[in-house]
Amino acid sequence: MSVFADALGLVFQPYVLLVIFASAAFGMFVGAIPGLTATMATALLVPVTFFMDPVPAIAAIVTATAMAIFAGDIPGTLLRMPGTPASAAYVEDGYRMTRSGRAEEALGASLVFSSIGGIFGTIVLITASPALAEVALKFSSFEYFWLVVLGLSCAIFVSPGSASKGMISLIIGLFAATIGIDNPAGQPRYTFGNVELLAGIQFIPAMIGLFAVSEVFRAVVHRAGDRPPMEPGGRKGVFGVQWANIKRYPAQAFRGSILGTAIGALPGAGADIAAWISYAVSKKFSKTPEKFGTGHVEGLVEAGASNNGAVSGAWIPALVFGIPGDSITAIVIGVLYIKGINPGPTVFINDPQLIYAVFIVFFLANIIMLPLGWAAIKGARTILSIPSRILMPIILMFCIVGSFAINNTPFGILLMLIFGVLGFLMEENDIPIAPAILGLVLGPMLEQNFVTSMIKADGDFLGFFERPIAAGLGAFTIAVWCIPLVLYLMRRRSAEQTV
Amino acid sequence: MKFNDLLLGVLVLLGGIAIYVSAIGFTAIPGQAYGAGTMPRAIAVFAVALGLFMIVASFVRGGRMPRLDLADWAKSGKAWFGLLVAILMVVFYIVAAPLIGFVPASIVVMIVMMLVLGTRPVPAIAVSILACVVIQQAFGRLLLVPLPRSELLGFLW
Repeated sequence: MSVFADALGLVFQPYVLLVIFASAAFGMFVGAIPGLTATMATALLVPVTFFMDPVPAIAAIVTATAMAIFAGDIPGTLLRMPGTPASAAYVEDGYRMTRSGRAEEALGASLVFSSIGGIFGTIVLITASPALAEVALKFSSFEYFWLVVLGLSCAIFVSPGSASKGMISLIIGLFAATIGIDNPAGQPRYTFGNVELLAGIQFIPAMIGLFAVSEVFRAVVHRAGDRPPMEPGGRKGVFGVQWANIKRYPAQAFRGSILGTAIGALPGAGADIAAWISYAVSKKFSKTPEKFGTGHVEGLVEAGASNNGAVSGAWIPALVFGIPGDSITAIVIGVLYIKGINPGPTVFINDPQLIYAVFIVFFLANIIMLPLGWAAIKGARTILSIPSRILMPIILMFCIVGSFAINNTPFGILLMLIFGVLGFLMEENDIPIAPAILGLVLGPMLEQNFVTSMIKADGDFLGFFERPIAAGLGAFTIAVWCIPLVLYLMRRRSAEQTV
Repeated sequence: MKFNDLLLGVLVLLGGIAIYVSAIGFTAIPGQAYGAGTMPRAIAVFAVALGLFMIVASFVRGGRMPRLDLADWAKSGKAWFGLLVAILMVVFYIVAAPLIGFVPASIVVMIVMMLVLGTRPVPAIAVSILACVVIQQAFGRLLLVPLPRSELLGFLW
């Protein structure tokens, strides 16, 4: 108990609280700018943390990250520019809600359920870190392969419209992911001698192009400038209907939080896949699956909770073993080392008050998110009262600068343009965009884990079913593919019999 | 510009074949059966299977001819002009920003786009300058993104 009291003493100091508040505002600002990411917010904070004690330093990063991940949903929902691959899973629902004048409700749901997912993830982080980390470490290339395949299958499953078109989108994303030199044999593929292409296709410019630039093109050809401005928000405000949503979708919020935290705890794969699988699960078990993708809050609830649950989950292997789950925790581990704290099992013995302080900061970050998120939403919604003829050119400029900022080269802008045209053509043909993004993000992981596994198993496909977790995941993935087909055949058969 | 399912299936099939052929030259990891060609070949097989499925499914549904339908907007020259200008403005920025700097290049892009979308000239110019200053301050000053500068027009930075 004295350790906990020490930790409270470390956190509840005016200086630390001020740092938390300032970094929360900073994270909110960076996350809400289209094209900038939570990773960028974290990286920008690192030099500032050099001058701080360990607790405020970690507090600054934890708070800024949690805020930036939520704030990424703001341009996603208002302008269809998702901040992360994870938020691309539910961007369509959020954007459709905005188009029908329910922007505040959508963002409110994102905010509240992000906070719930984050708090749930933190509770798991405190109570079950070592156990979950043990399981996560049992994941080898075989298990990761199946997890990635499951994530990709979910992308097809969640895409509205025909499955064939979802698969076309996935093929486009997977093919784009093969470009570059980063492959098992280290041979340049489809680079045509271009040095920039050797590094592969960066997903941020691709995502900005596919989602946002294609939207600008659509506004141009459909003369959206003549359209009256959208209704900024519903009558009930940001939090008005969220209590009703909590009462209506408790299972969804709970399921999303659990799944997000569990998948997020897997180093390297978690955060990007979690929201997609949660969205698919939500659609599968929903009473109204046909409403998904048309501006329905249910998927947003589950995937939003999952998204922030995964953010907390990623800290589990980072703190318990010192293994970064994503780029943000990788930066944080670096900061911890600089501060003389060595993440790993010993940190719980040597510096328990520091770890407890980090946990308390997690709670504070997820709670402070609510008022700050409310303010950000209220500030950002004024965007919606700007007519399209003025807003769209400014969005295009943000897209250009955001794509440039990833590597600070004009090549990012060119990629954005190419993917913008591609996204425009895809949407003209009712081909969903989201699976392409997931294909692009998970393609390299799929390839690496497949080739590594095949080499380990000496070319024997049965190797994918020889380990218990891999066998379970594999059987589940195959069931996900086959069950819809079997159900279709059974329905057809019973229909024939009745005729 | 809407492809019908049959045409889409044919395109996917041809794309799959093209990927497969292009992947033939990719080498394997020394001593292994797998390497740079594994993934493209797997994607190619997936694409060919999907293309064939779409073609067959289209035939079963009665679609016999590949067809490209024009959407309503595509019948308007104004829409095509707007689309072309939007694409050219991004190209303009890529070419011009390193020469004349971020500030003038971005102002030109925004003014032209606003005019194309039907904004009146005075508000278009005023809003573009304001937006440019905000973006330049946020990205260039606060977030330290090295936006292109021009030696020639340094006073506009």
